[in-house]
Amino acid sequence: MADQLSQLESSIETIINIFHQYSIRLQPPDTLNKKEFKQLVKKELPNFLKKETKDDKAINEIMEDLDTDVDKELNFHEFSVLVGKLTEASHEEMHKTAPPGVGHRHGPGFGAGGSGHGHSHDNHGHSHGNHGHSH
Amino acid sequence: MLTDLETAMNSLIEVYHKYSLVKGNYHAIYRDDLKKLLETECPKFMTKKDVGTWFKELDINEDGALNFQEFLSLVIKVGLAAHEDIHKE
Repeated sequence: MADQLSQLESSIETIINIFHQYSIRLQPPDTLNKKEFKQLVKKELPNFLKKETKDDKAINEIMEDLDTDVDKELNFHEFSVLVGKLTEASHEEMHKTAPPGVGHRHGPGFGAGGSGHGHSHDNHGHSHGNHGHSH
Repeated sequence: MLTDLETAMNSLIEVYHKYSLVKGNYHAIYRDDLKKLLETECPKFMTKKDVGTWFKELDINEDGALNFQEFLSLVIKVGLAAHEDIHKE
């Protein structure tokens, strides 16, 4: 990876790195067991899984749901299903919190009230609330 | 404050809109938009299949455009390949 990463590639790299940061803690090194998954959810998903982070039983249920090969471990493939679901949920939340108006608009989404970098370019109307953008 | 993982996921939403807002429906990536996306965002994966093949494979509901969900299945595919590459490196 000598050349510069695109936005898509660097997002994916972050996701893989965080997965590994937890998966290597206990054997086997490339999967998350229950304990590692719980640590990851609590530390890395406090806004996207706000309710669940305080509820161990709910975290276990998410894990069971994702563990499609029922080996009590989440491999990267199973984990990426969660990433997809949460990204979709975050996008939906941005639309739920979108300010009224014409065009395509996004609201702040999950974890609102954090660092906002709202910028808006009118005419094409794509806007995120306080940490989004609009064209 | 969002974590790095959460920010990375929101960044995927941004990537999608970079191409979906170009024209037509706000949540539609058309074939030529996909071409630009693949060339710009994941040139390495472009080489394995051409745009037409990618588009056919990703447009599950066959409406001639990729919605956000269909885009996410591309992201997962690229992600899995990137994960394999990391272990090969």
